Amino acid sequence: MNFRNKPELHERLAAEYALGTLRGAARRRFERWMREDAALAMAVARWETRLSPMAGAVQPVPPPAHVWRRIRERAQPAGPSQGLWNSVGFWRNLGLAASSMAAALLVAPLLISPQAPQATQTPAALSPAGTIVASYLAILSDAKTQKPVLVVSAGRKSDQLWFRTLDPAIQVAGKSLELWALPRSGAPKSLGLVAGGEGKLTLVAAADESLGEIPALAVSLEPAGGSPTGAPTGPVLYSGPCVKYW
Amino acid sequence: MAADPLPAQLAALLAACARRDQAALARLYELTSAKLFGVALRIVRREDWAEDVLQECYLRIWNNAQDYRAGLAAPMTWMTSIVRNRCLDWLRRPKFEVPDADGSVAEATASDRPGPLAELERSKEAAGIAHCLQGLDAKQRQAIMLAFYDGLSHAELASHLREPLGTVKTWVRRGLIRLKTCLEAA
Repeated sequence: MNFRNKPELHERLAAEYALGTLRGAARRRFERWMREDAALAMAVARWETRLSPMAGAVQPVPPPAHVWRRIRERAQPAGPSQGLWNSVGFWRNLGLAASSMAAALLVAPLLISPQAPQATQTPAALSPAGTIVASYLAILSDAKTQKPVLVVSAGRKSDQLWFRTLDPAIQVAGKSLELWALPRSGAPKSLGLVAGGEGKLTLVAAADESLGEIPALAVSLEPAGGSPTGAPTGPVLYSGPCVKYW
Repeated sequence: MAADPLPAQLAALLAACARRDQAALARLYELTSAKLFGVALRIVRREDWAEDVLQECYLRIWNNAQDYRAGLAAPMTWMTSIVRNRCLDWLRRPKFEVPDADGSVAEATASDRPGPLAELERSKEAAGIAHCLQGLDAKQRQAIMLAFYDGLSHAELASHLREPLGTVKTWVRRGLIRLKTCLEAA
């Protein structure tokens, strides 16, 4: 469907999104369009502005006190675990602390370098073809143990993202592990589901486009089949910086 | 009830939340939580669910406060949209019990009684939309109000209003177009 050349459809979907009648897969798809299309996001904001005074007619109901107590406990000033996904602190931490450590870990084995003679990781793990092309690379580590768990790579011009788990036992019964691209600002974008072993995911566009502005990747624990909402719903299990290797 | 908080006051609190100022979050919660809890309760219809939604939404507001753009929407509009979107996601969850299975909520709200409209007209901010809702056909108004206040989908609207799906979709679509025209003329 050539959606963008149809301003009337554009407007109708924006209205139905704001009203709430756009549902299910269509709503998720529309949210993806909104993230990529500023004009569409503005059309939605205008509709939300038109309709939101209606909420003024809803009878206010003071929530019970324990709701605020729970919010206060979780709204920590510095990088709360629950607020991890969108917190500025999380980004700073990832960008600074994690990148030096994990990027060294990541690149060292790849370089035939006198600085890294002790490298023991096998470079072949990072490229099924045995050669290393200009790629985006990430090693995701377990937040608790700091152990690297998942290696991810994608050639710059390729829309294929390759992953391999370093710990084959990462799968959790009845749950799925979802891989997310974490942009500098805005919501995480799902890259697909990963499982123990080795596999490939198809990116929505070549890696240069999909990962070029992505400083980090993360894996969250989701209901079987992946997040029902299009946004991470479960805890972040693994994360690590996504670096440009070329 | 206290007067509605001013948008500028809320915008300043959001800016302080973006700087991780917890006192600002506390104040924002104090000023807005009863309204947002009312909105959530109306859509998800269970107190414990509405509590979970509210908790998630304030954490989302806290963690995304830096994304708030004053030029795009008023603070209350932004926060209300976060809550309504989360409620609609909530209703999508597997194993969700059919809300209001006996239709009593829909009946109470679907009737064309003046309640919500009269309430709307009392608010200066909402006077425009109240007037324009009044100008719609009764069916269009009913469908739009049920969708907005109760989070009903097209299919749920059709079943509650006992009308074919296509008919209900048309009411919603035409109603929205007329609303926009009316609001822009005001």
